[in-house]
Amino acid sequence: MTTPILSVRGLTKKFGGLTAVNNMDFALRTGELHAIIGPNGAGKTTFFNVVSGFLRPTAGTVSFGGADITGMATHRISQLGMARTLQIKSVFSGLTVYDNVWIAAHAKRKFLHPFRAARAYSDTAGVVARSIEAIGLTERAAELAGNLAYGDVALLEIAIAMAMQPRLLLLDEPVAGMSPEETQRTVLKIKELSRSVNILLIEHDVEAVFQIADRITVMTQGAILCQGTAEQIANDPRVQEAYLGVPTEVGHA
Amino acid sequence: MSAARIGSLDLVCGALAVAFLLSAPWLLPRFVPDFWVSIIAEILIWGLFASSANLLLGYTGLLSFGQSLYFGFGAYGVAFGIMKFEMGIVPAFILGVVIATAVAAVAGFFAVRLTWHYFAIITVVFSLIFYLVAVGWHSVTGGDDGLSFPLPPVARFGDVELTLLDPTFQYYFILVIVAACFLLQWIILRSPLGVAFTAVRENATRAGLIGLNPYLIRLTSFIIAGFLAGTAGALFALFSRYASAQYMYWTVSGEAVIWTIVGGSGTLFGPVIGAAVLITIREELSLYWEHYLILVGIIVILVVTFAPKGIVGSLNAWRAARRTARVAGNRVRP
Repeated sequence: MTTPILSVRGLTKKFGGLTAVNNMDFALRTGELHAIIGPNGAGKTTFFNVVSGFLRPTAGTVSFGGADITGMATHRISQLGMARTLQIKSVFSGLTVYDNVWIAAHAKRKFLHPFRAARAYSDTAGVVARSIEAIGLTERAAELAGNLAYGDVALLEIAIAMAMQPRLLLLDEPVAGMSPEETQRTVLKIKELSRSVNILLIEHDVEAVFQIADRITVMTQGAILCQGTAEQIANDPRVQEAYLGVPTEVGHA
Repeated sequence: MSAARIGSLDLVCGALAVAFLLSAPWLLPRFVPDFWVSIIAEILIWGLFASSANLLLGYTGLLSFGQSLYFGFGAYGVAFGIMKFEMGIVPAFILGVVIATAVAAVAGFFAVRLTWHYFAIITVVFSLIFYLVAVGWHSVTGGDDGLSFPLPPVARFGDVELTLLDPTFQYYFILVIVAACFLLQWIILRSPLGVAFTAVRENATRAGLIGLNPYLIRLTSFIIAGFLAGTAGALFALFSRYASAQYMYWTVSGEAVIWTIVGGSGTLFGPVIGAAVLITIREELSLYWEHYLILVGIIVILVVTFAPKGIVGSLNAWRAARRTARVAGNRVRP
């Protein structure tokens, strides 16, 4: 078995008296599209925040591609090849779609040239064109990101992440707040991307997750309840009890 | 970088502006009193000063009320260079700019750890500290009275002496340096570093997530802004032949912010336009009406309320909207 791209050992994150993530062990195998599901407050986003360097863990270690990244600054973790989208879509609103993707594609060069024209970098331009094309925003390239429809902003955020040419892509609720059509379009894009990059995602929309994930982890109360394929998860009585057992949850979440 | 498109209107306006600035020393005296040449020179200096606030506010998203500090250091650097070290104009000028930039590097090291209002406050505090030191340390700085100094010639060719006491030479000296500083800004703003500035301005969290170091990028911008303010201060010292603590006071920084906002923050020439409009109003009105600042206040309120992008920013937005409308019109036409 190869070393996992992401591995977390004994991870704990406490906020005062509240334990958001409790002594969690997790490993992501290379080449899989893995989804983490779980009810609100299960600690999914906190887990992402610790992994991507937004929060320092109370205890435990995070290693990425074999390197220990526990407590490392966000931009350094990103430089190592981890890209992330946020639950509240986060792009550069005042910049054009093109520039949004351009700076993401260029940022991996640690030196930002102060005198050479940005347009002169034909290799960066190539990555940008491919990333925008792959996500289907070519027609919108000259528009300000702030003028895009919500579904397009979410796609742009994914294009930004892909332009970094990451080894691991973390998606935080990629289809939350989307119309059924937008959800379907985004789900297909994610499935397509998973062929070229390792993807770990958090999602409330269980239907979408069952459609695309190779493997699923169910979290409750800061810990892993169980792991398995969509079929195994769907038939697991513990999961039904903790999460799927409430039909209204599944319906509107 | 893709936002700025050069159209024919830009070329015409640019050519007119260049022609006006180049010909001002002989063109202006034909229509208006001679002193308007030096008012234009002063507008260029203050426009450069305002551009330092604009680099931070308009491009990097940092509101600084402390740019007067670096302006003051640039001016005092020149004064000390000439008076204490008996330097020529050029070495003294370089001394002023280097000191101002170095002070900006040290202050920025602390200041850019903060953002938003905390950043604004710490920039004011830094400049107040040095202002109070400069006012109190009268024996060295001359306090509010300042230091006046004689101007050595810039260069001598046989019997011909180039000196800033010659208003025409002084004007071109200022024009060349200010133009070079704007060329430098233009180059930086279209470079990868410039795109990174705007990325940090728009969303520092996202900037970190794509691998940019927001702290380092803000610090770089802050140092360049200190360099620009210091250059303006050094020019102003040569222009007025004195350096004074009063130019370190934070209200001087506030004027830079106001000129920037009125002219258009986040546009290259907005700060100069803003400075030109408000300084012209001052020059025209202050003789007849001592409360002319009321009018300035009204203009600022109107601009912030109805044209928050400033003069240049609103003009650009209007032209972009017209272009989009034209493209849309072409599309529906059969």
